[in-house]
Amino acid sequence: MSPKLINRLLLAPAGLWLLTMLVLPIVVVVVFSFGERAQAGGYVPAFTLEQYLNLPARWKAFQNTLTLAPVGTLIVLLIAYPLAYYLAIKANPKWRTLLLILVIVPFWTSILIRSYAWIFILGGRGIPAILEFFGLEGIRLINTPFAVLAGIVYGYLPLMVFPIYVSLERLDKRLLEASADLGSPPWRSFLQITLPLSLPGVATGCMLVFILLMGEFLIPAMLGGGKVFFVGNALVDLFLQSRNWPFGSAVAVALVLVMLVSVTIYMRAIKRWGNGRDDVSLM
Amino acid sequence: MQSADTPTSNAGRAPIAEFRAATKQYGAVTAADQIDLAIMPGEFLSFLGPSGCGKTTALRMLAGFEVPSSGSVHLDGQQVNLVPPHKRPVNMVFQHYALFPHMTVADNISYGLRQQRPKPAAAEITRRVEETLTTVRLPGFEQRRIWEMSGGQQQRVALARALINQPKILLLDEPMAALDRKLRREMQIELQSLQRALGITFVLVTHDQEEALSMSDRICIMRAGRIVQIGTPRQLYDAPLNRYVADFVGKSNFFAGPLSQIDGPIGTVSLPGQSGQGRLGQGVQKGANVSLSVRPEQITLTHSGPGLEVLIKNRIFLGEHTEYLVNHGDLGDFLILVSRQGEALEGTFEPGEPARAHWKPEAALILNND
Amino acid sequence: MTDTPDHISAKAFMAELERYRKGSVSRRHFLGVTGLGMATTVLGSAMPSLITRPAYAQGSIGDSVVLATWPNYHDPASFDAFTELTGAAVQVNVFGSNEEMLAKLQAGGSGWDVFVPTNYTITTYVDEGLIDPLDLSKIPNYDAASFDERFASPGTVNGMLYAASKDWGTTGMAVNTSQTNGRVLTSWKDFWEITQAEFSGRTTVHDYQLTTIGNALKSFGYSFNSVDPAELAKAEELLLAVKPHLFAITSDYQPPMRSGDAWLAMCWTGDAKQLNKDIPEIQYILGKEGGEIWSDFYAIPKGAPHLDAAYALINFLLDPAINYKEAMFHGQPVADARVNAMMSAEMMADPIIHPAAELLSALEFGAAATLTDPNRAELMARFKSA
Repeated sequence: MSPKLINRLLLAPAGLWLLTMLVLPIVVVVVFSFGERAQAGGYVPAFTLEQYLNLPARWKAFQNTLTLAPVGTLIVLLIAYPLAYYLAIKANPKWRTLLLILVIVPFWTSILIRSYAWIFILGGRGIPAILEFFGLEGIRLINTPFAVLAGIVYGYLPLMVFPIYVSLERLDKRLLEASADLGSPPWRSFLQITLPLSLPGVATGCMLVFILLMGEFLIPAMLGGGKVFFVGNALVDLFLQSRNWPFGSAVAVALVLVMLVSVTIYMRAIKRWGNGRDDVSLM
Repeated sequence: MQSADTPTSNAGRAPIAEFRAATKQYGAVTAADQIDLAIMPGEFLSFLGPSGCGKTTALRMLAGFEVPSSGSVHLDGQQVNLVPPHKRPVNMVFQHYALFPHMTVADNISYGLRQQRPKPAAAEITRRVEETLTTVRLPGFEQRRIWEMSGGQQQRVALARALINQPKILLLDEPMAALDRKLRREMQIELQSLQRALGITFVLVTHDQEEALSMSDRICIMRAGRIVQIGTPRQLYDAPLNRYVADFVGKSNFFAGPLSQIDGPIGTVSLPGQSGQGRLGQGVQKGANVSLSVRPEQITLTHSGPGLEVLIKNRIFLGEHTEYLVNHGDLGDFLILVSRQGEALEGTFEPGEPARAHWKPEAALILNND
Repeated sequence: MTDTPDHISAKAFMAELERYRKGSVSRRHFLGVTGLGMATTVLGSAMPSLITRPAYAQGSIGDSVVLATWPNYHDPASFDAFTELTGAAVQVNVFGSNEEMLAKLQAGGSGWDVFVPTNYTITTYVDEGLIDPLDLSKIPNYDAASFDERFASPGTVNGMLYAASKDWGTTGMAVNTSQTNGRVLTSWKDFWEITQAEFSGRTTVHDYQLTTIGNALKSFGYSFNSVDPAELAKAEELLLAVKPHLFAITSDYQPPMRSGDAWLAMCWTGDAKQLNKDIPEIQYILGKEGGEIWSDFYAIPKGAPHLDAAYALINFLLDPAINYKEAMFHGQPVADARVNAMMSAEMMADPIIHPAAELLSALEFGAAATLTDPNRAELMARFKSA
């Protein structure tokens, strides 16, 4: 067999997979987005821009998603970084594996059951009841954007912790000694050495969380009481309730475009921040 | 023992750094055990020993990365046990350099300057970086990336980075371990001349005796957390305290046996099938098990002269010298170094050929085994 | 918190947990929000060794049957009994809306054997060719004469029986009267008014366009099924004004009503009965302007993978004795006179299950046009995303 043929055979399964699982669905969605809804729901072939012209009807969902996804990512980052730092640098290596497992243990049960736990915790008999005991009355948590954010932080924490943990764990500890040796106090060593060198992990974590959050629908539905509406929820409704496949496809196309644009902006920003460093790549 | 061979040139001057019974324990393991040592300003001192002997621990106590479990470390007369690394006027060249991978050469080198408060002006930083790069013979490399540099160049950057704050002591932790042999030789010479030019005290940690011998003013031989002997390279070479030091400093042949007789400065060691004579080393006592140490270059190899009957086993041509591995029926294998001059007199010896080996009693040294 | 009755005892909690385990409570919400119908409860089949041996006919109808139904809608004991009898384990997929069921069937490959459509959807299923007529010879327990025509007739399309009546009910409001300070709610107008005033943040409405839009329309006196753009615009205006005052838009309102987070819920008969049974302060009210009356059916989708088991399950559930037990569990009225004959006088007189005739007469059945109307669907989406 010629090397060329071998190369092709090696790439064939992945190529076939990508073609059927990624390219074809995207083509279908794009084709549908120019179609019309059938009388009882579904799709009728057509060529119309009507679906795209109707996109402003979902403006609020895009607005919610584009607000809560970055804010959620940032909060997840702010909580995950110290945790990953502790695990990678401060924790006793003897316990490290156990602690890492503890980070993922909650994910052994279904998101549904965990969300119900949160519904109880944030509901009237949970935290608000405790706050009431301390004289803070009338605090509403469940079915608010705050509850959705809490759920997001909880659900996405490991996705952020692990890449950061890996980049911190790989960090050569002697670099910190070198920094200290050259006169830098620990906090400045963190800012000048640890933080920049863990940026690849931060970038990866943020990317993972942000992209998944853009498509999130379960957490807003469960903890937002149907009142905090993401693009994902709009899609679920369009395909599974009103069965408006063409409009659903147009919203999906718009979401993909928004995602591509925000990811591109993000990558540019990271690149600029990394000042062209080769060691700070995105993945 | 340690204080015995302090060089006299520094007599009367205050030490720049001092270990006083400094001990470092990790749980049950004692990495450094009761280290007493005074380091003099401007000297080039090496810690020499195999891995795990405590030399790196000693260096790290000096840098501030380790706090002594007991005893103390002093810099410039001040006890500094608890002073953190970033407040000590010493800088280190790390093993494998520990250069910051996300910074340019200039940023790496200027790092120390940029930690000073108040921060020096940008122009001053630029000037100093340029100057230091020139010192380590890397002018114009400011904007290079670390991974674009060869091992030797990285070594110079590490050196420049450690020198820019003009430390009172430059600590070097196996700085040349990652370099190939030829480059290592060059760097050794360069380091030595740099040290003389700058007048900074250098403290080097190495397991490479040749490196220590060629660069150091004084060498501190360590073993199992303790200092075994301190002295100039010549002192250590000519008057090793014991077999361990003789083995570590230069090459030597050892023949073990009890010390059977003492005649003034010369003793006699009973060896299998014969006896051997040599100068008495420090503290050897009659009846004790000792080693007769003979440097390979002290042995004369002849085709039919006096001495032991040996068989040539192997020959290695080293340029200036030829090293022969010979075998003696009772004493086993040992090495003999024959100079070009010696060869001119006796000719060469072929493997398998019988020969004679002998040395003068004054050329051999009787040493305690420990 | 003090004025909320502390009704969740350990026992009640365990009962809730059991219901959840059986897939009747919370799971539906998951399905409601994912719409995937993936969270399938496998009764018995997950743990085959625990199944008691069937009395007879083991394997003759296969070892499983898939049922797509509504939450809190079946007595788990019925399925256990069916499995014991036939050897077929019942997998239950729970759904939140008829739209969702339709979407799933339209997409194809649902894998269902039996599902539970509501009256007004059946003609659409027939028109779309998604269901087959029932073979009555395989459902000996179906006795057409004993069913109340009013509730059973939508099952017949073009003179053929496509769906067998399961039960019927109404859509009203459940209100926690301990919070009303004596005010009595009687209409949908009251419902939307109090939500924007004293009950702000305490009301839930269905995540379901038919009832949420329908009951908004009713408060203006329009038809529950209206697709008139002007009338829908009024309903939309009302819903958007109410939205900030809602506790949630959810069809899973039992948990917040029980916990005291919500005080008022757009509510179906069965849920009202279940809530009222545990918390008597929660009462069920039908809007005096009218609202929805509905009936649910058993039907078999085209291409059901376990057709014999599907008929066996429908026949089993329509056995009057089993149907009676089911009714006692879900708290909905049943259209089968044979079952009603077994009910106690008290049950038959229960105002939640059998509201007064004059209240019933004001109610409307949902219309097929309402199900498929794109404008109502879009209105609901705008309301949810607002």
